Amino acid sequence: MTDPRLTSQSFLGPESDAIFANTEVGVVGLGGGGSHIIQQLAHLGVGRFVVVDHDVVEDKNLNRLVGGTAKDVKDNLPKTAIAERVITGINPAADVMPCQSRWQEAIETVRRCDVIFGCVDSYRERDELERFARRFLIPYIDIGMDVHQAADGFSISGQAVLSSPGGPCLWCLGILNHDRLKQEAIRYGKAGSRPQVVWSNGVLASLAVGLFVQLICPWHGTPQLTACCEFDGNHHRVETNRLDCVYDLRCRHFMPDELGDPFFAREPLDETASR
Amino acid sequence: MMIIFRAPSDLWETVRRDLERPHPFAAERVGFLVCRAAKLAGEGLAILATAFDSVADEDYLDDPSVGAMMGPTAIRKALQRAYNNGAEDLSIFHVHMHEHRGLPGFSPIDVRENKKFVPDFFNVAPVMPHGAIVLSRNQAAGLCWYAQHAVPVPIDRFASVGAPLRMWGRKA
Repeated sequence: MTDPRLTSQSFLGPESDAIFANTEVGVVGLGGGGSHIIQQLAHLGVGRFVVVDHDVVEDKNLNRLVGGTAKDVKDNLPKTAIAERVITGINPAADVMPCQSRWQEAIETVRRCDVIFGCVDSYRERDELERFARRFLIPYIDIGMDVHQAADGFSISGQAVLSSPGGPCLWCLGILNHDRLKQEAIRYGKAGSRPQVVWSNGVLASLAVGLFVQLICPWHGTPQLTACCEFDGNHHRVETNRLDCVYDLRCRHFMPDELGDPFFAREPLDETASR
Repeated sequence: MMIIFRAPSDLWETVRRDLERPHPFAAERVGFLVCRAAKLAGEGLAILATAFDSVADEDYLDDPSVGAMMGPTAIRKALQRAYNNGAEDLSIFHVHMHEHRGLPGFSPIDVRENKKFVPDFFNVAPVMPHGAIVLSRNQAAGLCWYAQHAVPVPIDRFASVGAPLRMWGRKA
């Protein structure tokens, strides 16, 4: 433990500074959830980031985008630039790789991350990102929130899920199902602006960062390979019992040998590659 | 250029348990990790281990000048595995273990022997990377060949994917 900024988290272990500093984290989606996450990771001392978002900040984002300012909107600043500024403002030594693109256009960069956070809007994109993470043996932490019309007003809910290779996936947990994907496809193009608020994004981001820390610097004897925290924003509760419904905690959707780039063999490696 | 080698934590455990077993005459054991691969930005590679093939007791040669010497049958079985019956080629990484903690390194004998047999995998699986790994009790080091006649490149980073998630290596 050498960094005086991190002495308050020394209970995470004598090597925790070095572990955080050398961990490369991918954060896909830098809106309400992702902007909270990168800020917390920078405070923890995470040293390497791949931050991915194709979008620029707009007025409508300022109700929840941590670090975003009115000037950034005026300057049409990419969300990746705001993320880089937030991270390096907290930890000037951090190495930030901004990818102002869709994550599917940055796959050879995102693949090298040790952990991926998915803060994406749609079930389809969650599905694709989790499949991607599984194929490259990368733990995936997903957050999502929604506001639904209820009989007496609105219902805020969401989830933070740690999906690790070999363990139950978002399909096993019922977060993803064919009906949700179908309904989303039917609504495609009609959605308009989805309701999002800063405080519930903050709760879910904090749960997600907690799942990350227990994975790489566990402070107790039983770190979890898979976790599902369901947030009830109306009653301010977090439930964690969804895993109880997954038979023997083994995934039936992703096979352990379905790894790597399926097209790898079609492009020969550069024989001159050396250092 | 970065080379990352990832395997599930239970696979690493399987490898260590197997390599720790005493052999009737060899001083140490060896085996092969069967892998898939993916390109990373900047000519990098991710090697992703899917299985471990132990070398059978009878496939060792009795050679007291080295810790373990594989016989031709062990090599033939590994080549067959890389060939994968003509389906999608597989990547093969030879693995053995040194009994200490901390960052391990290849001995001069390891380097000499690796140079002899690793390039042979390109005869059966020419487009996949192949290589060799040495484990210690808690870390790993390795070399990766991009092509049959290329100079092997050190593996930068190893990951044991489980709970906890562990990373080791030169850039870990």
